[in-house]
Order: sequence, then structure tokens, then C-alpha cells
Amino acid sequence: MFDTVEDVQKRLNEQQYICGKNIATVVFLAKALGKPVLVEGPAGVGKTELGKVVAKALNLPMIRLQCYEGLDESKALYEWEYSKQLLYTQMLRDKISEILEGANTLKEASERIASQDDIFFSERFIVPRPLLKAITSEDQVLLLIDEVDKSDPEFEAFLLEVLSDYTVSVPEIGTLEAKHIPLVFLTSNNAREMSDALKRRCLHLYIDYPDEAAEIEILNTKVPGIDSRLVEDIVHLVQRVRELDLKKTPSISETLDWARALMVMNADSLETELVNDTLNIILKHQGDIQKAQSELNRLLEQKAAERAADTPQPVEPDPGKKSVLH
Amino acid sequence: MQRKIVEFTNILRKAGVRVSVAETIDSFLALDEMSLDDRELFKDALRTTMVKHWDDIPAYDRLFDLFWSGFHDVLRDELGQAVAGMGGDFDLDQLMQQLQELLANMDGDVDLSELARAMLSVDANSLEQLIQQAGEESGLDGIRNMLQIGFFSRRMLEQMGLEGAGENLRDMMEQLREAGMGEDDLARLGDLMKAIQEALRRSVRQYAERELDKQNHDYMERFRRESLQEKSFYNLTEDDLRKMREVVDRLAQKLKNIVSIRRKRQRKGKFDLKGTMRRNMAHGGVPFELIFRQRRKDRPKLVVLCDISSSVSNVSRFFLQFIHSLQECFTKIRTFVFVAELGEVTEIFRNNDIYTAIDQALDGGDVINPYTRSNFGMAFNVFWRDHLASLDNRTTVVIIGDARNNYNDPRAWCLRDMQSKAKNVIWINPEAPGAWGFGDSVMDRYVTYTDVAEECRNLKQLSRMVDTLIL
Repeated sequence: MFDTVEDVQKRLNEQQYICGKNIATVVFLAKALGKPVLVEGPAGVGKTELGKVVAKALNLPMIRLQCYEGLDESKALYEWEYSKQLLYTQMLRDKISEILEGANTLKEASERIASQDDIFFSERFIVPRPLLKAITSEDQVLLLIDEVDKSDPEFEAFLLEVLSDYTVSVPEIGTLEAKHIPLVFLTSNNAREMSDALKRRCLHLYIDYPDEAAEIEILNTKVPGIDSRLVEDIVHLVQRVRELDLKKTPSISETLDWARALMVMNADSLETELVNDTLNIILKHQGDIQKAQSELNRLLEQKAAERAADTPQPVEPDPGKKSVLH
Repeated sequence: MQRKIVEFTNILRKAGVRVSVAETIDSFLALDEMSLDDRELFKDALRTTMVKHWDDIPAYDRLFDLFWSGFHDVLRDELGQAVAGMGGDFDLDQLMQQLQELLANMDGDVDLSELARAMLSVDANSLEQLIQQAGEESGLDGIRNMLQIGFFSRRMLEQMGLEGAGENLRDMMEQLREAGMGEDDLARLGDLMKAIQEALRRSVRQYAERELDKQNHDYMERFRRESLQEKSFYNLTEDDLRKMREVVDRLAQKLKNIVSIRRKRQRKGKFDLKGTMRRNMAHGGVPFELIFRQRRKDRPKLVVLCDISSSVSNVSRFFLQFIHSLQECFTKIRTFVFVAELGEVTEIFRNNDIYTAIDQALDGGDVINPYTRSNFGMAFNVFWRDHLASLDNRTTVVIIGDARNNYNDPRAWCLRDMQSKAKNVIWINPEAPGAWGFGDSVMDRYVTYTDVAEECRNLKQLSRMVDTLIL
């Protein structure tokens, strides 16, 4: 349990997840109110990571459900183990004839079978899928429903039912109620607008790319031992690149990859050639790379000029003289 | 507090942010869980419970600032100025202290209204409360336009009883004089009260202006967005065009969802008895694996012929955006543009992002000369000569144009041959059917060889056409 919003922030930081107050507030409220959280934002800003980290911070087991087009109840909730049922009928064939022994009419026989059919639709033959697992678990769990926007609208409607009362009804068995209300995180890349009904039941969190200061902090935490000036340069460049009109903007994870790569290459500052060679780590489309390259080279030159300017400067002309000139 | 939040939700709703009752209740629950000292936390808590669409976040931020702050500072500012306006040697604290002592001595004798009391003690908090109260009582939330600001501020001042308070204060000053207050101090107090009255007048006016801002937020914007769907393609401004993109995107997304459901339903096949038996021979005929008959996905191939002469280019633009946003619903889209010559621009769409591609395509895309006079007959003839073979019974041909042929030979037989080879020929015409065949329009000649020919002059019609005819 979290005590305050600051506590959330601190404990997420301990898990190497740097977040602002807005994220911490939502996490705090989700835990306090027992409401699911819908996390939206561009790809690679740490939406899935947030779920994982919260699970770690609260020491909860995590159950993950990856959504995709065509995901249906039998993959997400439960499935009858058809082959096992069949196998059992085969193996119990003798037993069945025993039960049927002495039955004179067809009606009597079928009644006897009917009195036994419960065993074939018991929890023994159910394969629990993530949602059912999360609900029937003995301890509280964190349920991460990843990329919910990839699922079909029907699945979303069905999810709604599970998330609003945390019960699952299996027609043959009855309604299974959650022993502990799971902490639910849904992530979405906005490939599709989620329905209002689902949104209404969730707290909403929009994570955007971090600003320069936050990204520097993330890099310093996640890539220990990296030169701080290099970090600043990297982040500065990445932030500029994000402003360009690209097919795919570099995400935080790509910034991290880049920093790690540069560290492996023993770079201590960003040289034009080095940047050009490693640009494919943060940009994944040829068109994007071409677009960014010219922009970056300009930036790097500018930077080099600034660095040079940092060394002793010529004395500025007397301001008094200037005004005479005007 | 709760009332204040409900009021805030009403304002959000007016600005087009959808907030349900359940969400308001959630926000109450959320606020119970946390301290309200931190303004940022409060803002985040309300946002996460009420605003579920990231598009709405900027609007929320603006409204939050308008609603939850600001006025208090405005009032304080005005009062501060009133005090500062009294001159350098004026000492408010000293005057206040003197006043307090005298008032304490006179206890019971003075009969001051609430407003007068608040003014005397220059108390911004209670003044703010009084102004809010007056706002509510005079129905300020009904304010709709600029012209009403004067009316409502006057009404609020009346409601607050500013005139009465003035009289009240004069009486009070008389009493103070009797109680032995110096003339200098009295004059100063009089000046101060006048200044505060002025400050109040200005603040009330500002209060009304802010209220108007809140109530009217984004109203025009939303109105435009909605009406864009029904605005004729002929009267779009540059600005509209930009906004239209977003609207088209949203419609396309919606359509995609519908189509995905529709497809899914079709895909789910029936139980295949024969297949199941055959597959399970190995298990001694015990049906371990069930086979379902899968239906063949039938995604249409599309050939689009766009007239890019200026009279129809807008229709072409949005149709192209539509179709290419829905790319996954089709197996293949080939796009041709024509004025008099005809050229294929499919490559452009493959290599560029959609907006650049559309702009290029509508500019002739380096394959044709866009600055000629429309000649449908010639364009169809070129298609017939070079591309007729690519049509098959799964291809839908969509032609966008007004069929104004500049009195050239229509060569309708080309279209006839196209129709006989393709699955469908659909003609989208931005002109009303009444005008077909008049003047240089040869639509009447072409109509015979189309499966569907429809008028399409705004977005709504366009999206309906795409939905019913093509998908």
C-alpha cells in the first residue's frame, strides 16, 4: 500500500522508474480507489514498464495479457479443455457402462448420465487464461492488459464486464467472484479510440515524451557510469529529433539503447561521424534517417561552435560607443 | 467543495469534454483519498478521473486555470492597487488598528452590512465570497455573449448592495467622527473606501468576463467541427481544409472499426463435419480436433480515377485520404489522376506519407499536366488502352469527377468496356443529379455504364458512400 503520492514517487524511483507527480498521483489513486488505469501515450514512453514497476514496488505478482487482433474470450478468460474431457470419457468408458448397467430404457440411461455430467464441466477441465487467473488468484495481483487498442471492439465490451464488477460468469459452473480486486493497468497506443464506456470505468493517464531534464535523469539512472556531458548531448539531440516530422519518433527506450551503444563504443562526446554511423539505433526508417541527418549535422556544428565559444571570449565593445553609433 | 466540482464538470461538458456522473463521483472519492494542499495534485486527480481523452487535456488545463484560480488573485491585485493608490505615506495597518479599537468601543451601536464590514477590513476573502454569491444569485451562468457583461456586472453590484454599503459607510463615518477620530484619518478612510468601491466594480466586471470565457469555451470551435461534415466541398477555405483532415481521419477510424466487426462476423465459419471426420481418422474417429469452415476473406481491389481539375479536386482530396486511411481494408489500391491525360500515382502513395502524396497527386504528380482542360473521353481512352487488362471481377472502379467534358468526345464505350470487366463501376459526382447532362456535362452518357452514380458534395455523404458502396 502507498501512503502518499510522494511515497509512490519514491518507491517507483527505487525501482529505477523516474516519473513526475502526475503519474504518481494516478498510481496512488488507482491503488486507493481500486480502479483500473488506462495508460495512453506514444510508443516507447514506458507504459508497459509502469505496470511492471508498480508490481515490483508493491511486491505483487504480475499477470500479463497481451492483446492482439482476434483475441477472444477463450484466449483471455478461460477455455474448456476439450481434449482432456474427451480423454477422460474414453478412459472412464468402463465406469460409464457400469453406471448404465441395468438401465432399461433410453430415458433412464440418459438420466443417469445427466446426473454425472457435472464432473465434466468442473474446474478440473477449465484452462484458466490471464483474466480468470487474475480474478481467482489467492493473493492480490497486478493485471497488465497490454496494447488493449489492438484487440477488437467486441473484446473490449467483454473486458468491460470483467473490469466493472471483477466477476466472471462461466455458464456451466456459475459466477466466480474475485477474492481480491486486482490492480489493473491497461495500455494503449491509440491505434484505435477506446470506447467511452471503458474509459469511464478507468482512471486515465497520458504519458508523453519526458522533457529534457527528466530524460537526462532517466538516462543517468538507467545507464550507470555514463559521462554526464554525453548524456546531455544525447538527450538534447533526441529532443530535437522528436520535433522533426518523422514516421517514427525515437522513444525513451531507443534513447537508452543509443546511450548504451555509445558507451560500449567508448565515446565521450558526439562526433558527426559517430552520430551518422549510429543513427539507425534511434531511427528505424531510411527516410527518417535522411531527414534527421542534415538537421543533426547542423546542430552538432552549432554545438561545436558553442563549445569553442566557451573558451575565453574577446572583450565586448563598450556599450556607450554603440549608442553613439545609432 | 462538491458543489464547486459539479459546477466545474458542467463547464467541462460545455466545452465538449464528456464527463459522466460516475466520473464526477470518482473524482469525489479520489479527493477523499488525498490532501488538497497541493494544487498540482488536485489538478492531476481531477484530470485522471474526469478527462479520458488526451485531445481534451489542453482544454482541461485552460479551464482548470480559469475556474480554480485567478479570480482571487485579480481581486487581491485590485485591492492592493486601491491601497497603493492612497499615496506613499499612507499606513493601512495603522489605520486599521485605529479603526478596530474605535469599533470595539462602539460595540453594538454600529449596524454594518456584511459588504461594508468586508470593505472596511479590506478582506479579500470575504469580498470574493460576496462576489461569488452575487454571481450565483443574479444567474451569471446564463451569460452568453460580450454584450451581456455590462448588464450582469450591474446586476451583481446591485445584488451585493454596493450602493447601500456606501450609505452605510457614511453613517458609520459620522459615528466615528463623534467617537473622536481625527479629520485627516477620516478623510483618508473615505478615500480608501471610494477606491475600494471602484476596485470592486472593476473586479465584478472581470468576474463576469471570466464567467463568459468559461461558459463559451470552444463553443464556436465545436460548432465548426460539426458543421464541417456537412459543408459543401465547393466552399472550403484553406483553414477548413486543414481542419477537415482531422475530421476525415476520425470518420475513417470509425469506419475501420465497423468494418472490422463486420469482417469478423463473416469470418467465423460453420462447423465442418466432413473435415472434422477426416482430420480425426487418426484418433479412431474420436473428434479431438474440430474443424471450422473458414470463409475466404473478400477484400476488394480498388482502382481510383480522380479528376484533379480544380472544380473537383477537393472531393478527390478527401476521397483519397479516406481510401488510404482505410488501406488495410483493401487488398490493393491503384490510383490514377487525370485532367485530359491520365497517369498512375500509386507509387507516390507508396513512397510518401499520405498528405504529401495527396498534395503531389493533386498537382499532377509529375505524370500528367494538370493545367489543361478536362477531357474525360481522352482519359478513359488512355485507361482503356493501357490498363483495361488489369481489371477483373474483384476490382471496384471508382471515378471521381463532374463529367464536364468541355464538349469533347465522351467515348462512353471505354467506360462500357471497363464496366463489363470490373466488379463495379462507381461514379462520385460533386454535382447534383439535376445538373447532369446540362451544358458541357456528359454525365447522362456515362451514367448508363456505371453501377452506381451518386452525388457527393460533403463529407457526410462521402463517408456514407465509402461505407455502403465500396467496403
